[in-house]
Amino acid sequence: MKPDIIVRTPSQKLALRLPVRALWVLLGMMIALLFIIGLSLMLGSYPLSASQVLDILWQRPADETGTTIVWEFRFPRVLVSIMVGALLGLSGATLQNITRNPLADPSLVGVSQGAGFAVVALTVLMPELGYYYRPLYAFGGALVVAIIIQWISAGRTGSSTMRFILTGVGVAAFISAGTSALLTYGDINRATAALGWLAGSVHASNWQDVWLTSACLFALLPILMWASRPMAAMRMGPDTATGLGVNVSIARWGLIMLSVALAAFAVAAVGPLGFVGLVAPHVTRRLTHSGVGVHLLITAAIGGLLVAVADLFGRTAFAPVQIPAGLVTAIIGVPLFVWLIMRQQARTEL
Amino acid sequence: MTIQKFGEVGRLGLMAVVISLFFALHISIGAKAIPLSDVFTALIARDETVFDHIVVWNLRMPRALIAMVVGAALAVSGALMQGLTRNPLADPGLLGLLAGASFAVVVGFGIWGSAIVPIMPLVAAGGALAASALVFWIASSAPGGARPLTLILAGAAITAFLGAIIAAVQLLDQDNFDQLRVWLTGTINGNRMSYMMWCLPWLLVGFLVSFAVARQITSLAMGDEVAIGLGVNVAQVKILSLIAVVALTASAVTLSGPLGFIGLVIPHAVRLFVGTDYRFVVPYSALVGAAYLLFVDIVARIALAPIEISTGLVTSLLGAPFFVWLVRAKL
Repeated sequence: MKPDIIVRTPSQKLALRLPVRALWVLLGMMIALLFIIGLSLMLGSYPLSASQVLDILWQRPADETGTTIVWEFRFPRVLVSIMVGALLGLSGATLQNITRNPLADPSLVGVSQGAGFAVVALTVLMPELGYYYRPLYAFGGALVVAIIIQWISAGRTGSSTMRFILTGVGVAAFISAGTSALLTYGDINRATAALGWLAGSVHASNWQDVWLTSACLFALLPILMWASRPMAAMRMGPDTATGLGVNVSIARWGLIMLSVALAAFAVAAVGPLGFVGLVAPHVTRRLTHSGVGVHLLITAAIGGLLVAVADLFGRTAFAPVQIPAGLVTAIIGVPLFVWLIMRQQARTEL
Repeated sequence: MTIQKFGEVGRLGLMAVVISLFFALHISIGAKAIPLSDVFTALIARDETVFDHIVVWNLRMPRALIAMVVGAALAVSGALMQGLTRNPLADPGLLGLLAGASFAVVVGFGIWGSAIVPIMPLVAAGGALAASALVFWIASSAPGGARPLTLILAGAAITAFLGAIIAAVQLLDQDNFDQLRVWLTGTINGNRMSYMMWCLPWLLVGFLVSFAVARQITSLAMGDEVAIGLGVNVAQVKILSLIAVVALTASAVTLSGPLGFIGLVIPHAVRLFVGTDYRFVVPYSALVGAAYLLFVDIVARIALAPIEISTGLVTSLLGAPFFVWLVRAKL
């Protein structure tokens, strides 16, 4: 067992304990992310060598087509996939921590579908509303769904995880059907645009998406880091958390809002990508044990890696056909989900 | 006893009236409204020279018949599944059978093209059987065994997985699979009538077996031990019911694509009126299911007229809130 690194303030009032292994994992993830970015820039219907890509990135004179492809298409695309994956991973981790339920995932309990419905509704019914409002109404839709699910599954004899998840499954089915009905109703051109987005695809990502998604990610990440302390307490159950001085009901709602916002911003950028929020926190837990804060950072990196790999695979494996990243993440995520069902005793307490 | 008999006759009469009413309404409503009186004349005295009569006989009536058959088949298979698994949330859609059947049909279509039609129910049955086996295996390997939660999560997982593969396959070969796109959303269409003759044997077997095992299902619903105590051959009844469920689900998917939540909603509604005796639950599920899908199909055609919504969307929009209510009320 390697010793942990302990950072203290001079007055010894605050100390931060950092497990060495977790830091190495984090470093490894960062290197893997750089590697996958490089690979994504190289591969595709117009293959480029590593040196060509480097030339293009350092803006040395290089071939025109390559420059356009890298800067206009591949680079924004891989950046958006990574950030969306990070957002979804963080959302899933937060949801799993507050519900104390390893099976919670924003796309399973209808939060992603709520965001998707709001975006499709506004794309189809009020297309004049601007692009930059999209995260806002995705957040609105997701929040309404989260509140409805909470409201329905609470009450009666306390709230049980089982009722929470099953309610989510039902609400998700309802909203998906509503979204499809909207698509039938809407103008065909707008509906087609919305349809591509609904499959969970990053293929149309541009720099506008990069700026918007990174703004969302870097606004929420500090808040999440700050909230990791109450989250760590919540993970031990409401009674212990109260004993540790956390106002459980406020912390709970705050964290749910945070989780919903993370998922909604990801959905606003690329559409509902399933199972990332489920997979990333679990892989992290398998790789290393650490405090909530470091766990969240690694989860974000793994989520980003997962979506970037899924997108790279989806667009190169069956070229020229592009499989949306959402389908690839579902195909990867479901077996893990099944494995989790088979070995985890779903806790009965929310 | 006589009063009970009278009640039974009254209930059956009521159902017959409701079904005929929906049947006539279903035929009369559409892109070109046909007055009810003309519908009756067309049904009684067919006249090939009248345009409306041709519409009724060639377009509208096949669609109404398919809606009735599919509604009955799904409702009965839902009722059997609920009794058999003692799980109020069992439904061919929720437990992945519809997804399995659709997936098998898509794969079969990819291999044999349109030559698949005669064996489509068989292929769909294979898919439904495999999917249900997988879902039950996953759920029963979970700690705590096959409870409603694990069954539904396993069903959702299988549905998501197969759905993703279907979507990917469709993207890879768009020209070939384009004709399946509408079918996969769950639509009722009169031109599927040609499939009916291939489904008929399956439907007959399915319905007959369901009616035959209905009495034993009542005892099974009280628990395996009770059923054994009452002299029921549990294994035999389970296998027979599974055959019926798979045959009915496969025919329904062949005729109309996956239509969710019918098998969930109808048996619960029926139980409110006839109690828990499956000798009544099963036949009434068939009748109410037929009426319900006629009604849903009417809604799908007039809600956003002149656009038709997929019938499967309407069954989900009506059924999902019911599912949520069930979760809240029963668990």
